[in-house]
Amino acid sequence: MTLAALTILGPLAAAVLILVLRRLAPALALLGTGVALFGALSTLARVAGGARYSATLPGLPDLPLRIVVEPLTAVLALFVSVVSFFVMVYAVGYTAEEGDKVRFFAGMAFFAAAMQTLVIAGDWVLLLAAWEVIGFLSFLLIGFYYERPGVGEAATRAFLYTRTADLGLYVAIFILIAGAGTSEISRTLDLGGQAAVAAGLLLLLAAAGKSAQTPLQGWLQSAMAGPTPVSALLHSATLVAAGAILLIRTSPLLPPTVLLVVGILGGVTALVSGLIAVAEGDLKRLLAASTSSQYGFMLLAVGAGSPIAATVHLIAHAAMKSSLFLGAGVFQHARGSTAFDDLRGVGRERRWTFAGFALAGLALAGVPPLAGFWSKDAILAATFESPHAWLLAPLALVGMLLTAVYVGRALGLLWRGEGEAGEPVAGAGWMGAGLAALAALAGTLGLAVGPLAGLLGEDVQENLLIAGLGIVLALAGLPLGWFVPAGRLLGPLRGAAERGFRFGGGFDGLVARPAMAAARALDALDRGIHAVVIDVGRASLAVAEATRVADERGIDGLIRALVRGTRALGGLARTLQSGLVHKELLLAAVGGALVLAFLTIGAVGL
Amino acid sequence: MISIVSLTLFLPLLGALVLVALPGISTRGAHAVGIVFAGLAFVGSVVMWARGVGEGGAGFSQVEEVAWIPSVGAAYRVGVDGVSLPLVLLTTVLFVVSLIFSAEISERARSYVALFLLMETASIGVFVALDAILFYVFFEVTLVGMYFVIADWGYEERRRASLTFFLYTLLGSLPLLLAILGLYLGSDPNTFDMREYIASPPLSGLAAMLALIAMLVTFFVKTPVFPVHTWLPLAHTEAPTAGSVILAGVMLKFGTYGLIRFALQMTPDAFRAAAPVVVTLGVFSALYGAFVALAQTDLKRLVAYTSVNHMGYVVVGVAVAAAATDASVRALALDGAVLQMVSHGVVTGVLFLLVGALQDRAHTREMGAFGGLLRAAPVLGWGFILAAFASLGLPALAHFPAEFQIFLGTLQVYPFAVVVVLGIAVTAGLYLRAIVRVFLGTLPEKWTGMKDMSAREALTIAPLLALTVALGVVPFVVLDVVHRATQAMGP
Repeated sequence: MTLAALTILGPLAAAVLILVLRRLAPALALLGTGVALFGALSTLARVAGGARYSATLPGLPDLPLRIVVEPLTAVLALFVSVVSFFVMVYAVGYTAEEGDKVRFFAGMAFFAAAMQTLVIAGDWVLLLAAWEVIGFLSFLLIGFYYERPGVGEAATRAFLYTRTADLGLYVAIFILIAGAGTSEISRTLDLGGQAAVAAGLLLLLAAAGKSAQTPLQGWLQSAMAGPTPVSALLHSATLVAAGAILLIRTSPLLPPTVLLVVGILGGVTALVSGLIAVAEGDLKRLLAASTSSQYGFMLLAVGAGSPIAATVHLIAHAAMKSSLFLGAGVFQHARGSTAFDDLRGVGRERRWTFAGFALAGLALAGVPPLAGFWSKDAILAATFESPHAWLLAPLALVGMLLTAVYVGRALGLLWRGEGEAGEPVAGAGWMGAGLAALAALAGTLGLAVGPLAGLLGEDVQENLLIAGLGIVLALAGLPLGWFVPAGRLLGPLRGAAERGFRFGGGFDGLVARPAMAAARALDALDRGIHAVVIDVGRASLAVAEATRVADERGIDGLIRALVRGTRALGGLARTLQSGLVHKELLLAAVGGALVLAFLTIGAVGL
Repeated sequence: MISIVSLTLFLPLLGALVLVALPGISTRGAHAVGIVFAGLAFVGSVVMWARGVGEGGAGFSQVEEVAWIPSVGAAYRVGVDGVSLPLVLLTTVLFVVSLIFSAEISERARSYVALFLLMETASIGVFVALDAILFYVFFEVTLVGMYFVIADWGYEERRRASLTFFLYTLLGSLPLLLAILGLYLGSDPNTFDMREYIASPPLSGLAAMLALIAMLVTFFVKTPVFPVHTWLPLAHTEAPTAGSVILAGVMLKFGTYGLIRFALQMTPDAFRAAAPVVVTLGVFSALYGAFVALAQTDLKRLVAYTSVNHMGYVVVGVAVAAAATDASVRALALDGAVLQMVSHGVVTGVLFLLVGALQDRAHTREMGAFGGLLRAAPVLGWGFILAAFASLGLPALAHFPAEFQIFLGTLQVYPFAVVVVLGIAVTAGLYLRAIVRVFLGTLPEKWTGMKDMSAREALTIAPLLALTVALGVVPFVVLDVVHRATQAMGP
């Protein structure tokens, strides 16, 4: 277990040391990922010999954190550590003239540690935590050149797209934990019924976000604003792989309806992103669209019922795509740009780099005996054997054709034209080493497919007819892409493809702007509520004023009226005492008469 | 046995009295006295933490009691349980940090520090009081202290803000007094002992529901919950930085603490009946707070509205706990609610400190005025980025464990209420917008000379940032204590 833990602890310790010491960043990062690679290799060797490990760490009450090392997770850990290590080697050269190496290598090392945690996580909380942390590091790394215009926005886009889609993962996890009573991943996969359908669709949402599937693929294009090693590590081989990894690991849970949706989404993405790649005018953005497309293939494989084919393609693609990005990075340093217009003929100038690039590209297109041929074959065979072959297989076939087309196009655009004399590129040695290693893997991973399948305990479908079909598509597509310009290939779809097939204004128009509109409306409501509160205050002041008036005029007035009345009565009484004899006599006479009358009536009545 | 609880409680008040007794003390002396006494109170709270709350803790520990009016059943009673002990520690930490940050205040420093120390005693008192009258007294004294702090050391609109804050929350507190009287009259024998109210809830039926409604009014104003929350943005933006830290970090917790201690524990059946309404209000308030925060351009107002959002989650958690029939789900939701309170105190505290530091340098809080500050002030910038990502719920940082627990509990009790998770997406959007606008991009000419955090300022944010990471990575340190109380709560 300690060896397995090294895969996480190595890069983590490196990252911490880099931040604390602020020196020797490249060396520490290499050391950390090297230790991880060693740990992963030894772990896989042991697992292949039959060992299984697990560890539990304190987490939340009743929800401990778990790490599990078994064939699938050990294989994934190895591929993550291999890619991390060689991209790190490359990055030493790429950043040779970069100022802020501490921030770069610390970020990359933290990322490597977090990604490793994700692949060997055995419980949902740890997986979710690692899933989000890699998103955070992606934000920091895409935003590395944060002073350049548009970079902050690109990083934000990447984070927000994925964070919003991740709500699906949150809710799916709640459903699974509530249903199974535990957060241990393997024990939550037995759930059935409605809950499994709901959880499955929500997991697909999260995976679609992370793996840049349609319609959430836009963020990956923008993510190319980051340094090329970041694109090579995160946005081709590892972070975007998390979505596919999630679906591969949870495939036992997914009911047939969900699998069909997964397959269709993957196939449509393969198609749409493939078209976008054919239309792209920037090398890195073409590769980003290609990445979406290839992950679409993996979803297609899972949907067709063959997670093993998806896993094989995942690993092969990691080698192939990262090599392509590494090559692109060298071209970028040579010409200072990644636009195809600026890269004409750079292939001739840097032949070794172009050789590695071309090798990886041909592998991606599915030319035997390179890695991509085997993985594509497995996927194609799976789609033909699935119950929905009529739907999935055509998507796979067109996707494969498009792959070959855009690879051919890229190669053609890089090769044609005149090479400039060019200055030596700084760090070319390191970059070349990294590229060579990964390109070699892209070439030779085909040999590993058999043993891999054996280790994971599943069969990889093979069918000569289908394999032949794949070769035909590759050999047809490559020259098509090389010779025919994109405009003629795409025809009426060209405009839409260049705009990335955004409909309804994309995420910005459908989510961001309505959210801001709602925010402003609620802000106005809030000010209104506060105004009501202040009005209540003013009203109570008015009540106080009215009370004062009532007190002064009302009650006081009443008292004064009483006083006046009493005085008036007194005045009236005073008129009786006038001192005038005739009035006094009159009063005496009237008074006497009244007394006599009362006495007489009283005497008579008795 | 030293009465450590009473000692911790009254040490800050003693410090305030010392300041009152020394009219000639210098500014530096006044701040020193404040930091020393707040530091001592912090040490006291650590001792309390170490003494712990005992195993299987239904009921209170470290209880200290002195008879006051025996015929009425009122006494000086203090003690802690798993819910209040973390909050006491949060209070002492935030007060120490605030007083260190405030060392720059030079105008009438003596009165300022004395008021803060008074508020500290009152705040700790709210959490440790076991007598209803005592609770109410401490509850109200904090209002007085904060009124003066805002009115005399605040920003431009401080007069209106302090008056609005004081009157609004004072009026809001009156229903609680009615409820306490109702509980008193319902209890047999008549007493103000909160432990009695919890052990055998005195009211039932309509009386309990009316008492609950009265308590909810008070605590909703304090928490705050929509629609009685509008005092919060005004008070927070106009208060001086340390005042905002205490207001958001400590005083908002009085409302949610009251929801648990009074509403949940003393009128459980009524709360269970009212839970759907409370959950709805909590969900709406959480989402509302997030959306309104998204529309803000004033950084301090933005952080203030995120408090409405986070406290909304706490209200949802408490309501879910009230409605839960399964004891483990109840404990889960309450654990999350209490942890969220602690997390919010720490994270929002550091956010206000950073925004305050920014305002001190730039004399504005408008996001549009800034840009590219990460280059000029990296410590401030990275601190803000870390705190902002904690506030939006990134795992491995504070808030994630708490929100995870609350949402998990919510799904199990009120599945439709799980829509409240949308709040974390909105919060992500608003914080990223702020980060990009203020810290990323090119640095404008006028800010090239901006100074980064001074040693004193860094000393205040460092412990809070460390706590942010600790609460995210090892939340069980706090949750173990909380869980002992929450697992025993409820029928």
